[in-house]
Amino acid sequence: MDNLTEMLKGTLEGCVLEIISGEETYGYAITRRLNELGFTDVVEGTVYTILVRLEKNGLVQVAKRPSGVGPPRKFYTLNDAGREELARFWAKWEYITSRLDKLREGGR
Amino acid sequence: MGIHDIIEGKRQWRAHLARIKALPRDYQIVYKEIQRYFFKVGPVGLADGSLLPDLLDFFEEGAATGKGVLELIGDDVAAFADGLIKDSRTYAEIYQESISGEPGTPGK
Amino acid sequence: MSFWDTITGNDLTREWQEFEVRAAALPAGHRAAWEEIKGHILSYSDFTGRNLMPILDSALGLLEETASDGLDIHEVLGDDIGGFCAALAGGEGARTFRDRWREQLNRNVARKLGRLGG
Repeated sequence: MDNLTEMLKGTLEGCVLEIISGEETYGYAITRRLNELGFTDVVEGTVYTILVRLEKNGLVQVAKRPSGVGPPRKFYTLNDAGREELARFWAKWEYITSRLDKLREGGR
Repeated sequence: MGIHDIIEGKRQWRAHLARIKALPRDYQIVYKEIQRYFFKVGPVGLADGSLLPDLLDFFEEGAATGKGVLELIGDDVAAFADGLIKDSRTYAEIYQESISGEPGTPGK
Repeated sequence: MSFWDTITGNDLTREWQEFEVRAAALPAGHRAAWEEIKGHILSYSDFTGRNLMPILDSALGLLEETASDGLDIHEVLGDDIGGFCAALAGGEGARTFRDRWREQLNRNVARKLGRLGG
Protein backbone atom coordinates (compact mmCIF):
# COMPACT_ATOMS: atom_id res chain seq x y z
CA MET A 1 0.00 0.00 0.00
CA ASP A 2 1.32 3.46 -0.90
CA ASN A 3 1.43 6.65 1.11
CA LEU A 4 1.42 5.08 4.51
CA THR A 5 4.24 7.32 5.67
CA GLU A 6 2.18 9.86 7.60
CA MET A 7 0.00 7.30 9.31
CA LEU A 8 2.89 5.01 10.07
CA LYS A 9 5.02 7.71 11.65
CA GLY A 10 3.87 7.28 15.22
CA THR A 11 3.92 3.50 15.14
CA LEU A 12 7.20 2.81 13.42
CA GLU A 13 9.17 3.08 16.64
CA GLY A 14 6.93 0.43 18.20
CA CYS A 15 7.40 -1.79 15.15
CA VAL A 16 11.17 -1.50 15.45
CA LEU A 17 11.04 -2.28 19.17
CA GLU A 18 8.92 -5.35 18.44
CA ILE A 19 11.37 -6.60 15.80
CA ILE A 20 14.34 -6.09 18.10
CA SER A 21 12.54 -7.87 20.94
CA GLY A 22 12.52 -11.07 18.89
CA GLU A 23 16.26 -11.39 18.52
CA GLU A 24 19.44 -9.37 18.31
CA THR A 25 19.43 -7.60 14.97
CA TYR A 26 20.80 -4.65 12.97
CA GLY A 27 19.45 -1.74 10.95
CA TYR A 28 19.46 -3.27 7.50
CA ALA A 29 17.77 -6.48 8.70
CA ILE A 30 15.10 -4.46 10.51
CA THR A 31 14.42 -2.47 7.34
CA ARG A 32 14.16 -5.66 5.28
CA ARG A 33 11.74 -7.12 7.80
CA LEU A 34 9.52 -4.03 7.59
CA ASN A 35 9.67 -4.06 3.79
CA GLU A 36 8.70 -7.74 3.66
CA LEU A 37 5.84 -6.99 6.01
CA GLY A 38 4.50 -4.65 3.35
CA PHE A 39 5.87 -1.32 4.55
CA THR A 40 7.75 -0.86 1.31
CA ASP A 41 8.33 2.88 1.70
CA VAL A 42 10.46 2.46 4.79
CA VAL A 43 14.13 3.05 3.99
CA GLU A 44 17.20 2.28 6.09
CA GLY A 45 17.65 5.93 6.95
CA THR A 46 14.26 6.06 8.63
CA VAL A 47 15.11 3.01 10.71
CA TYR A 48 18.48 4.54 11.53
CA THR A 49 16.91 7.70 12.96
CA ILE A 50 14.69 5.52 15.14
CA LEU A 51 17.63 3.41 16.33
CA VAL A 52 19.58 6.55 17.23
CA ARG A 53 16.65 7.69 19.38
CA LEU A 54 16.17 4.30 21.01
CA GLU A 55 19.83 4.26 21.91
CA LYS A 56 19.78 7.81 23.24
CA ASN A 57 16.70 7.09 25.32
CA GLY A 58 18.36 4.04 26.83
CA LEU A 59 15.91 1.46 25.47
CA VAL A 60 18.41 -0.78 23.69
CA GLN A 61 21.75 -2.44 24.23
CA VAL A 62 24.21 -1.90 21.40
CA ALA A 63 27.13 -4.09 20.37
CA LYS A 64 29.52 -3.33 17.53
CA ARG A 65 30.64 -6.35 15.56
CA PRO A 66 32.65 -6.77 12.39
CA SER A 67 30.62 -7.38 9.25
CA GLY A 68 31.45 -9.13 6.00
CA VAL A 69 31.49 -5.92 3.98
CA GLY A 70 32.54 -2.50 5.12
CA PRO A 71 32.84 -1.12 8.64
CA PRO A 72 31.66 -2.84 11.85
CA ARG A 73 27.94 -3.13 12.28
CA LYS A 74 25.80 -2.14 15.27
CA PHE A 75 23.63 -4.89 16.72
CA TYR A 76 20.67 -4.09 18.96
CA THR A 77 18.86 -5.92 21.75
CA LEU A 78 16.12 -4.64 24.03
CA ASN A 79 16.89 -3.94 27.68
CA ASP A 80 14.32 -3.82 30.49
CA ALA A 81 13.37 -0.22 29.76
CA GLY A 82 12.92 -1.16 26.10
CA ARG A 83 10.65 -4.06 26.98
CA GLU A 84 8.55 -1.77 29.18
CA GLU A 85 8.32 0.77 26.36
CA LEU A 86 7.25 -1.98 23.97
CA ALA A 87 4.51 -3.12 26.38
CA ARG A 88 3.32 0.48 26.63
CA PHE A 89 3.27 0.73 22.84
CA TRP A 90 1.04 -2.33 22.44
CA ALA A 91 -1.26 -1.12 25.22
CA LYS A 92 -1.67 2.21 23.43
CA TRP A 93 -2.14 0.46 20.14
CA GLU A 94 -4.87 -1.74 21.59
CA TYR A 95 -6.58 1.29 23.02
CA ILE A 96 -6.54 3.20 19.72
CA THR A 97 -7.72 0.29 17.58
CA SER A 98 -10.52 -0.56 20.00
CA ARG A 99 -11.70 3.07 19.88
CA LEU A 100 -11.49 3.12 16.10
CA ASP A 101 -13.47 -0.09 15.82
CA LYS A 102 -16.11 1.39 18.03
CA LEU A 103 -16.21 4.53 15.93
CA ARG A 104 -16.66 2.59 12.74
CA GLU A 105 -19.35 0.33 14.13
CA GLY A 106 -21.22 3.30 15.50
CA GLY A 107 -21.03 5.10 12.16
CA ARG A 108 -22.74 2.35 10.26
CA MET B 1 33.20 22.60 24.55
CA GLY B 2 33.31 23.25 20.83
CA ILE B 3 32.42 21.70 17.56
CA HIS B 4 36.00 20.62 17.14
CA ASP B 5 35.94 18.94 20.51
CA ILE B 6 33.30 16.56 19.22
CA ILE B 7 36.12 14.50 17.99
CA GLU B 8 38.57 15.75 20.57
CA GLY B 9 41.21 17.86 19.08
CA LYS B 10 42.51 18.73 15.71
CA ARG B 11 43.98 15.43 14.68
CA GLN B 12 40.69 13.62 15.16
CA TRP B 13 38.86 16.41 13.40
CA ARG B 14 41.21 16.00 10.45
CA ALA B 15 40.61 12.26 10.51
CA HIS B 16 36.88 13.02 10.49
CA LEU B 17 37.33 15.21 7.41
CA ALA B 18 39.39 12.52 5.72
CA ARG B 19 36.59 10.01 6.29
CA ILE B 20 34.11 12.37 4.64
CA LYS B 21 36.43 12.72 1.66
CA ALA B 22 36.68 8.95 1.35
CA LEU B 23 32.91 8.59 0.84
CA PRO B 24 31.41 8.28 -2.65
CA ARG B 25 30.54 11.68 -4.17
CA ASP B 26 26.79 11.46 -3.58
CA TYR B 27 27.31 10.57 0.08
CA GLN B 28 29.79 13.42 0.50
CA ILE B 29 27.33 15.92 -0.89
CA VAL B 30 24.49 14.82 1.35
CA TYR B 31 26.68 14.50 4.44
CA LYS B 32 28.01 18.02 4.03
CA GLU B 33 24.60 19.54 3.45
CA ILE B 34 23.22 17.82 6.54
CA GLN B 35 26.20 18.96 8.61
CA ARG B 36 25.66 22.51 7.39
CA TYR B 37 22.00 22.31 8.35
CA PHE B 38 22.95 21.12 11.84
CA PHE B 39 25.42 23.99 12.25
CA LYS B 40 22.50 26.35 11.74
CA VAL B 41 19.90 24.52 13.79
CA GLY B 42 22.41 23.80 16.57
CA PRO B 43 21.24 20.54 18.19
CA VAL B 44 23.12 19.94 21.44
CA GLY B 45 24.35 16.57 20.17
CA LEU B 46 26.62 18.50 17.82
CA ALA B 47 29.28 19.23 20.40
CA ASP B 48 28.62 16.89 23.30
CA GLY B 49 27.40 13.84 21.48
CA SER B 50 28.25 11.53 18.68
CA LEU B 51 25.70 12.84 16.17
CA LEU B 52 28.16 13.51 13.34
CA PRO B 53 30.58 10.59 13.81
CA ASP B 54 27.63 8.19 14.07
CA LEU B 55 26.06 9.58 10.94
CA LEU B 56 29.37 9.06 9.19
CA ASP B 57 29.45 5.44 10.41
CA PHE B 58 26.00 4.94 9.00
CA PHE B 59 26.95 6.46 5.65
CA GLU B 60 30.09 4.35 5.45
CA GLU B 61 28.02 1.24 6.05
CA GLY B 62 25.53 2.29 3.39
CA ALA B 63 28.23 3.13 0.88
CA ALA B 64 29.88 -0.25 1.49
CA THR B 65 26.72 -2.01 0.30
CA GLY B 66 26.88 -0.11 -2.97
CA LYS B 67 23.60 1.70 -2.46
CA GLY B 68 23.07 5.29 -3.57
CA VAL B 69 22.67 7.75 -0.73
CA LEU B 70 19.05 8.63 -1.51
CA GLU B 71 18.23 4.96 -1.73
CA LEU B 72 19.55 4.71 1.80
CA ILE B 73 17.83 7.66 3.44
CA GLY B 74 14.98 8.53 1.07
CA ASP B 75 14.47 11.63 -1.09
CA ASP B 76 13.49 13.95 1.72
CA VAL B 77 16.92 14.59 3.20
CA ALA B 78 15.60 17.31 5.51
CA ALA B 79 13.07 14.90 7.00
CA PHE B 80 15.89 12.45 7.63
CA ALA B 81 18.02 15.16 9.23
CA ASP B 82 15.15 16.32 11.44
CA GLY B 83 14.52 12.71 12.44
CA LEU B 84 18.08 12.51 13.73
CA ILE B 85 17.60 15.45 16.06
CA LYS B 86 13.94 14.98 16.89
CA ASP B 87 14.38 14.60 20.65
CA SER B 88 17.37 16.88 20.79
CA ARG B 89 17.28 20.31 22.35
CA THR B 90 19.01 23.09 20.46
CA TYR B 91 21.43 25.75 21.67
CA ALA B 92 18.89 28.33 20.59
CA GLU B 93 16.27 26.77 22.86
CA ILE B 94 18.68 26.71 25.79
CA TYR B 95 19.58 30.33 25.20
CA GLN B 96 15.94 31.38 24.94
CA GLU B 97 15.14 29.55 28.18
CA SER B 98 18.05 31.24 29.90
CA ILE B 99 16.80 34.71 29.04
CA SER B 100 13.16 34.02 29.81
CA GLY B 101 14.16 32.34 33.06
CA GLU B 102 12.01 29.31 32.39
CA PRO B 103 11.60 26.60 29.81
CA GLY B 104 9.82 28.24 26.93
CA THR B 105 9.12 27.89 23.26
CA PRO B 106 11.57 29.75 21.08
CA GLY B 107 10.93 30.96 17.60
CA LYS B 108 7.28 31.86 17.87
CA MET C 1 38.13 41.47 25.23
CA SER C 2 37.54 43.23 28.53
CA PHE C 3 33.88 43.63 27.61
CA TRP C 4 33.65 39.91 27.13
CA ASP C 5 35.50 39.32 30.39
CA THR C 6 33.07 41.43 32.31
CA ILE C 7 29.97 39.77 31.06
CA THR C 8 31.05 36.19 30.91
CA GLY C 9 33.94 35.55 33.23
CA ASN C 10 37.49 34.60 32.54
CA ASP C 11 37.01 30.98 31.66
CA LEU C 12 35.25 32.02 28.49
CA THR C 13 38.07 34.29 27.46
CA ARG C 14 40.17 31.35 26.42
CA GLU C 15 37.31 29.92 24.40
CA TRP C 16 36.85 33.33 22.89
CA GLN C 17 40.51 33.54 21.91
CA GLU C 18 40.22 30.15 20.24
CA PHE C 19 37.33 31.50 18.17
CA GLU C 20 39.49 34.37 17.01
CA VAL C 21 42.33 32.04 16.04
CA ARG C 22 39.92 29.97 13.99
CA ALA C 23 38.34 33.06 12.46
CA ALA C 24 41.73 34.43 11.45
CA ALA C 25 42.23 31.38 9.24
CA LEU C 26 39.08 32.14 7.23
CA PRO C 27 39.16 33.79 3.79
CA ALA C 28 38.30 37.50 3.76
CA GLY C 29 34.62 37.21 2.86
CA HIS C 30 33.96 34.62 5.51
CA ARG C 31 35.99 36.56 8.08
CA ALA C 32 33.91 39.67 7.42
CA ALA C 33 30.77 37.59 7.84
CA TRP C 34 32.11 36.30 11.17
CA GLU C 35 32.56 39.86 12.40
CA GLU C 36 29.03 40.65 11.36
CA ILE C 37 27.56 37.53 12.97
CA LYS C 38 29.51 38.21 16.15
CA GLY C 39 28.14 41.75 16.27
CA HIS C 40 24.57 40.56 15.93
CA ILE C 41 24.84 37.66 18.36
CA LEU C 42 26.67 39.70 20.98
CA SER C 43 23.97 42.33 20.84
CA TYR C 44 21.71 39.74 22.50
CA SER C 45 24.11 39.08 25.31
CA ASP C 46 23.29 39.94 28.87
CA PHE C 47 24.17 37.99 31.99
CA THR C 48 23.75 34.82 30.06
CA GLY C 49 26.38 35.39 27.40
CA ARG C 50 27.65 31.94 28.26
CA ASN C 51 24.72 30.38 26.46
CA LEU C 52 25.63 32.20 23.28
CA MET C 53 29.03 30.50 23.02
CA PRO C 54 27.80 27.24 21.48
CA ILE C 55 25.71 29.22 19.00
CA LEU C 56 28.76 31.20 17.94
CA ASP C 57 30.75 27.99 17.82
CA SER C 58 28.25 26.39 15.43
CA ALA C 59 28.18 29.51 13.28
CA LEU C 60 31.96 29.49 13.08
CA GLY C 61 31.83 25.79 12.22
CA LEU C 62 29.52 26.61 9.35
CA LEU C 63 31.85 29.33 8.09
CA GLU C 64 34.90 27.08 8.30
CA GLU C 65 33.22 24.20 6.59
CA THR C 66 31.79 26.26 3.74
CA ALA C 67 35.06 28.15 3.29
CA SER C 68 36.99 24.91 2.95
CA ASP C 69 34.55 23.93 0.21
CA GLY C 70 35.10 27.23 -1.56
CA LEU C 71 31.48 28.34 -1.22
CA ASP C 72 30.53 31.94 -1.69
CA ILE C 73 29.56 33.47 1.64
CA HIS C 74 26.46 34.98 0.12
CA GLU C 75 25.25 31.55 -0.90
CA VAL C 76 25.69 30.35 2.67
CA LEU C 77 24.06 33.15 4.64
CA GLY C 78 21.71 34.84 2.21
CA ASP C 79 20.84 38.53 2.26
CA ASP C 80 19.51 38.89 5.74
CA ILE C 81 22.39 38.23 8.13
CA GLY C 82 20.55 39.95 10.97
CA GLY C 83 17.55 37.68 10.54
CA PHE C 84 19.84 34.71 10.13
CA CYS C 85 21.54 35.47 13.44
CA ALA C 86 18.26 36.04 15.25
CA ALA C 87 17.21 32.61 14.00
CA LEU C 88 20.48 31.04 15.17
CA ALA C 89 19.68 32.31 18.64
CA GLY C 90 16.08 31.11 18.43
CA GLY C 91 14.63 34.60 18.34
CA GLU C 92 11.96 36.08 16.18
CA GLY C 93 11.46 34.36 12.86
CA ALA C 94 13.36 31.24 13.91
CA ARG C 95 10.58 28.97 12.65
CA THR C 96 10.53 30.61 9.26
CA PHE C 97 14.29 30.39 8.98
CA ARG C 98 14.28 26.75 10.00
CA ASP C 99 11.79 26.02 7.21
CA ARG C 100 13.98 27.96 4.83
CA TRP C 101 17.09 26.02 5.91
CA ARG C 102 15.18 22.79 5.46
CA GLU C 103 14.18 23.75 1.92
CA GLN C 104 17.70 24.94 1.21
CA LEU C 105 19.04 21.56 2.34
CA ASN C 106 16.81 19.61 -0.04
CA ARG C 107 17.31 22.07 -2.88
CA ASN C 108 21.10 21.96 -2.57
CA VAL C 109 21.12 18.19 -2.44
CA ALA C 110 18.86 17.92 -5.50
CA ARG C 111 20.96 20.42 -7.45
CA LYS C 112 24.32 18.90 -6.56
CA LEU C 113 23.25 15.31 -7.07
CA GLY C 114 21.68 16.37 -10.36
CA ARG C 115 25.01 17.79 -11.42
CA LEU C 116 26.58 14.41 -10.70
CA GLY C 117 24.19 13.02 -13.24
CA GLY C 118 22.81 10.60 -10.69
